[in-house]
Amino acid sequence: MSAGGAGGGATAAYPQQTIMAIGAVGGLAGIYLGHFMPPAFSFFGGLGAICAIVWGADAVRRVASYGLGTGVPSIGMIALGMGIVAALFGLSVGGIAGPIVSFIAAAIIGAVIGVLANKVIGMGIPIMEQAMVEIAGAGTLAIIGLSVVIAGTFNYADVVQNVVANGYIALIFIIGGMGILHPFNANLGPDEKQDRTLMLAVEKAAIAVVITGFASSLHEGLMAAGLNIFVGLVIWAFAFMKYYELVKRDAFSVVGTGLLPSAEELE
Amino acid sequence: MIDALMANILWMVFIVVGGVLISWSVHFVPVGGAPAAMAQATGIGTGTVQLAAGAGLTGLVSAGFMMNVTKDLPLILASGAVGAMIMISVTMIVGTWVYVYGVGCVPSSAKVKVDPITKYRQDLYVSQGTEGHGLPTVSFVSGVIGGCLGGIGGALIYYSLIEVGVTAGLAASASSSVTGNELVGIAAMFAIGIFFVNAVIPSYNIGGTIEGFHDPKWKKWPKAVMSSFVATILCAIVAVIAISQLGGI
Repeated sequence: MSAGGAGGGATAAYPQQTIMAIGAVGGLAGIYLGHFMPPAFSFFGGLGAICAIVWGADAVRRVASYGLGTGVPSIGMIALGMGIVAALFGLSVGGIAGPIVSFIAAAIIGAVIGVLANKVIGMGIPIMEQAMVEIAGAGTLAIIGLSVVIAGTFNYADVVQNVVANGYIALIFIIGGMGILHPFNANLGPDEKQDRTLMLAVEKAAIAVVITGFASSLHEGLMAAGLNIFVGLVIWAFAFMKYYELVKRDAFSVVGTGLLPSAEELE
Repeated sequence: MIDALMANILWMVFIVVGGVLISWSVHFVPVGGAPAAMAQATGIGTGTVQLAAGAGLTGLVSAGFMMNVTKDLPLILASGAVGAMIMISVTMIVGTWVYVYGVGCVPSSAKVKVDPITKYRQDLYVSQGTEGHGLPTVSFVSGVIGGCLGGIGGALIYYSLIEVGVTAGLAASASSSVTGNELVGIAAMFAIGIFFVNAVIPSYNIGGTIEGFHDPKWKKWPKAVMSSFVATILCAIVAVIAISQLGGI
């Protein structure tokens, strides 16, 4: 029994090239802005992470529509597994080009795993190689972006000190993965629509920014943390309202159930 | 960069062996996925990745505990294996209680006619329209073997990564500061990253569900192990370089 997906390509309103461009360019731009601006503007890293998470969710949507055989969460977890390995590697050797080196390393690891999945394991999903490259790249940028929110920079020594050593990296791992895997997992089905799925990705990514904003108070102080949380909350509120609108648009009807009946009414 | 790789070649071999063990271990764990959650397939009712991660990460933690008191590799591996075995056993026994007393079905396998261990008939007890339900003895034993292999694999990767850091001149001992220990943090995250990659690859190989070593799908393991071997080599190179760079800052 295949979990999720009817076995075929997904129809899309936004072409994948547009989303790839938003994810890769927006992600890297946000990370670099967050790095070079003063610590108070570290929320730019979060904006980059939102772009990357939307891209990752779209790639998951495309590949999981073919039916992976195992639930959608597995592909989100492999995205972040590859992402964390590539992200720390790139930051350690790349210096100022760290995020780009990470991105390339992620693409290579993703391509190898994609080829292995199709050629050796024989999954037979035509877009597996490309999707794995995209998912690995998006996972990497999401991790670096959220790290920039906490550390204010992507300098390896600072990231290790402020994000990895105190364990915040585990938090980033799970909330980043949730942003990438959850939107399609929650929306899949015959009536799945791309804009609704991606809006849920924005909403999940905004929650990630709020949570990393809380974590950033340890290192960046309350002012910067407050700004991070505020930016995250504004985006979250907007995305949640928009998502609710789209749910109402796609639902047959939305009805209130009222309060639970009281004991007398049940008799 | 090349020097760092050459100096740590033994640890890289250990990391690759660990990755391959994890990949193999997943084939033993009775994963039922969503159908098992509705008692329509044999196995534990959740995905491979969640199970492998639960058991494997417990193994990692218990291996880390042992590393506090000794540097003896066999003891550390044994601690990791026992931790993962306890975790997977607890998951399976509680799952069995739920299936037997909650759902009200007999643990039975649809893939074999008699349980290879207890020799009990299986096919008579499989409800119509399902592919078995619950966890028969053979699946339980298989799951414990899987936990053991996964725990050893996870502990081997973690130990190797810590040793790479020690070679680069870092301290692995516990520190009392609030910022924690860089080496432990980064080694644990790399171990988790490599663990997830090697847990997902075999789960694609088995198509999401497997009953244990008696399942016909189990014979497909060389494919997943080959894939994990290649993928882990890449991850090992990347991880060793990143940890060696820690020594310079």
